[in-house]
Amino acid sequence: MVDLRSLSELERDALREVANIGAGHAATALSQMTNRTIMIAVPEVNVRRLEEVAELVGPPDTVIAAVLMHMMGDLTGRTMVIFPDSSAKAVCDILLHRTPGKTDTYNDMERSTLRETGNILSSAYLNALSDFMGMMLVPSVPSLVVDLAGAVLTTTYLNFGHDREFIFCIDTSFRVEGADEALTGQFLLLPDLPSLNAIFDAIRLD
Amino acid sequence: MTVPRIAVGVAGLEVATAPTSLAAVGLGSCVAVMIYDPVAKVGGMAHVLLPSPASSRRFESPGRFAQTAVPALLEQLEPLGADLRRLTARLVGGASMFANLTPPGSIQMGERNVVAVREALHVHGIRVIGEQVGGDYGRSVEFNLQTGVVTVTSVSQGVAHL
Repeated sequence: MVDLRSLSELERDALREVANIGAGHAATALSQMTNRTIMIAVPEVNVRRLEEVAELVGPPDTVIAAVLMHMMGDLTGRTMVIFPDSSAKAVCDILLHRTPGKTDTYNDMERSTLRETGNILSSAYLNALSDFMGMMLVPSVPSLVVDLAGAVLTTTYLNFGHDREFIFCIDTSFRVEGADEALTGQFLLLPDLPSLNAIFDAIRLD
Repeated sequence: MTVPRIAVGVAGLEVATAPTSLAAVGLGSCVAVMIYDPVAKVGGMAHVLLPSPASSRRFESPGRFAQTAVPALLEQLEPLGADLRRLTARLVGGASMFANLTPPGSIQMGERNVVAVREALHVHGIRVIGEQVGGDYGRSVEFNLQTGVVTVTSVSQGVAHL
């Protein structure tokens, strides 16, 4: 079993590269959906205590829209696409052809739009991983919550993770380049621990 | 006058006297357990993450587990003048988010946390006088030790008092 606290620099680099490929494809999908240029940051490999995961996606009392999907097949774990409240509304404005700032609540139409957006982005992410590593990866149905950042991530690890001490995720931030509206977010890949070895094997890191 | 406010982080545990307020932000599956002595106006809050140390390997912060948080709160409240016979408890949190991704028939961690906190309170003879638990949404909670009022806020359900 991989010891999260002693990942080598080479292993971290490899995980960043894998995430970069996944996030790159997801960003392309978002770019085509919104007709805007999306920039992605260098992925970050996060290993932290379960108590400290809330801060990964911002102050615990901020509202976020998060789409969670299980990843099944040759790797197991989860993917999550996160939009801060204002960005989630901006995505709805763009995709529902509304004037900027018009979306102010999350009703069925908005929730459906965000769930489907998360579905498309996560699927693009997993497809890229699948091609790159020669693996079969299958996404589950998506699940959307619009809630406090502190509640979302801790609950994800508590209910679906297997480790209760140190948690692991690879986090890639994205933002729209040079637009009027603020549109930012994060792609998260949350592989189960045994799947880390499978990733290292697949890219022949040994 | 500004009232002192203590933030109780995940797995944290704090006790204080009036007029201080204790607050926990972004409870999902976590449970905030609050114990209060209305006469001495002292109280405590723990931000419980898991039911018992058995479901984790390491043991340190007592606020992390339902089983250890309740006795630790009682132990720390007594020197502040709390009388065990007057103590009452309230629970907030224990939600089940992403319910459609949970395998059918499995018990969610939020529900397990709520059950474990109730059990621990029962073992120590503390009466539960208010709860806002379960559901599929996160909550924040503020516990005013002057009035004893617990205020629960959430994104989708607004404000409630316990």
